[in-house]
Amino acid sequence: MLKIENLHASVAGKKILKGINLSIGAGEVHAIMGPNGSGKSTLSNVIAGRDGYEVTAGSVTYQGNDLLAMAPEERAWAGVFLAFQYPVEIPGVNNTYMLKAGVNAKRKHQGEQELDAIDFMQLVKEKAKLVELDQSFLSRGVNEGFSGGEKKRNEIFQMAVLEPTLALLDETDSGLDIDALRVVAHGVNALRSPERSIIMVTHYQRLLDYIEPDFVHVLVDGEILKTGDKSLALELESRGYDWVKAEAAA
Amino acid sequence: MSDVALNDIRLDIAGLPGNAGVQALRQQAADVFARTGLPGKRAEDWKYTDLSRLSAVLGESWWVTAAQTEPADVHVIDDLDAYRLVFVAGQFQAEQSNLPTGVQMLPLADFLANDTAERGHCLFHVDESAPLFNGLMAANTALASDGLCACIGDDVQLDKPLYIIHNGSSTAHVLNGLMLGRNAKVTLIEHFVGAGSDAALSNIATYLRLGENAELRHYRLQLESDKQFHIGRVEVKQARDSRYILHAVELGAQLSRADIVVDLAEPGASCALHGLFVASGRQHIDHHTRIDHNAPHCRSRENYRTVLDGRSHAVFNGKIVVAEGAIKTDSAQSNGNLLLSKNAGVDTKPELEIYNDDVKCAHGVTVGQLDEDQLFYLKSRGLSTEEARQLLTFAFADEILTAMDIPAVRRFIEHKAFAKLPNMTDLEGLLG
Repeated sequence: MLKIENLHASVAGKKILKGINLSIGAGEVHAIMGPNGSGKSTLSNVIAGRDGYEVTAGSVTYQGNDLLAMAPEERAWAGVFLAFQYPVEIPGVNNTYMLKAGVNAKRKHQGEQELDAIDFMQLVKEKAKLVELDQSFLSRGVNEGFSGGEKKRNEIFQMAVLEPTLALLDETDSGLDIDALRVVAHGVNALRSPERSIIMVTHYQRLLDYIEPDFVHVLVDGEILKTGDKSLALELESRGYDWVKAEAAA
Repeated sequence: MSDVALNDIRLDIAGLPGNAGVQALRQQAADVFARTGLPGKRAEDWKYTDLSRLSAVLGESWWVTAAQTEPADVHVIDDLDAYRLVFVAGQFQAEQSNLPTGVQMLPLADFLANDTAERGHCLFHVDESAPLFNGLMAANTALASDGLCACIGDDVQLDKPLYIIHNGSSTAHVLNGLMLGRNAKVTLIEHFVGAGSDAALSNIATYLRLGENAELRHYRLQLESDKQFHIGRVEVKQARDSRYILHAVELGAQLSRADIVVDLAEPGASCALHGLFVASGRQHIDHHTRIDHNAPHCRSRENYRTVLDGRSHAVFNGKIVVAEGAIKTDSAQSNGNLLLSKNAGVDTKPELEIYNDDVKCAHGVTVGQLDEDQLFYLKSRGLSTEEARQLLTFAFADEILTAMDIPAVRRFIEHKAFAKLPNMTDLEGLLG
């Protein structure tokens, strides 16, 4: 499904990713954990195609295609979705309008018929329930005046509507209180399926209590130093990251 | 200006409507015009707008009105239920118009023809001390051929908007006067449109008086042909508790300048000026606004948005003067500028003059390109680059468009505004 090989990337000339290797199969949930500044968000942004990230070596292959050669919207059409760490507010752009344009661009690209307004509203209302997003949010400007928790719920709601095959959740748990975290996690779990791979980037083990990963990777200073199952996350929680660094250096 | 030119103007005036008093006032205005001439670039209020282009393009006698030609076929707001007043080349067209009954409303030329008294009319007094006064105002007074002349009586609420269409593909000086009595309520739509292939000047002055607790919603839609020069003056005087709401839209003309001058003369009066410029090519659009808070408890709101493409240039100058006695003034001004091209530019300047301490005045200016983070967000959701740019451009103008309370006008402007910009193709879906 997704294969990352020897990925090196820089931001403003500064090397951030220093040889990432990662293979993600269909339906798998991977957690990438690491301290601040380890390159977690850079990895998400490189996969989603944000400007300003220069890939200096390596490759990212998605469903057999060179992902790095694709524009951000082409990646979206191919089924890649990024839930942003800091979702931007876009006053004046209606939340539902944006999603309808996104869904229909993807359908058009895949040779499917575009959804009409009525079908789309039905879809949107159904998905909004999944993350307990009040319907009044649907007609508001994208994230406009949303609280932190509402923004994160809106991201998962969009994921539900866009039905990606690869979802990157960039620190989706940060800034959430425990009740909001439960709601968001419930939404993500409901979206788990054999066709959908999920990458969760986080530095809190707490999220993994609610969304159980198949694999946990430890990202430190631009490299994946250790891979394990969910018990690795618990170990990181109690012991911190230094022992992983020491182990890798040895 | 030469004596020959002044004599020409004198001769032109002799053929214009008006009793002896009005003729005398027109001659006085001609003298003022001859003395002041066109505002030059050295005048502070004309620093960024070069009117030498006017005489360079139209010739030395740029003010001369052309004979009325066949009106060009122009696009107006068809699905609007309104009283219509159609002017072609500055002349009222009775057969294309329908005026409301039961109110004092006449084309200015008719009014002047019927007014045989010897005294002049207040519309023709030139006040050189008025804010933003310039020679073009005097030219307008001297040479005005026609316009709207209306007094809406106390407690009268017009059931439909007044829709004035100025089809101006040739040079015209138009003078409008509209007075609202106590509690009167009117919507006035001035739509300037043209399809001429030759350059000409539209010199339009609109004088508005609002009585106690009156409300005027004023749409000023400038969609002249891209060869036209457009010079506008809107002067508003407001009595106690009156409300003036302006929706100014600038889409047309090669050079357009409008001076909006509002006098909040009595307590409790309020005004809201909403402006939208969408310019492309080499268009030059300039609004100078001046709001005088001359009484306590008045409120003013100003929100101007400009979208500039190509090599277009916009000027916004918003001056607010709060007089010594105008306590509890509440004023806010905002001007946002979106540059879609590297070659587009804007000169924007808020000016506040405040002569008492008990006021609330806020102002803010932004100049920028489309936001990269917003663009990426939309693209990551599957919108193409063009679609994302289109949507964000539209969103930028949204506040001004949604403030328009007549859906037919709003739809018309939305389509005209965004059809101007490149890659604005799928408007149907966007405007839903």
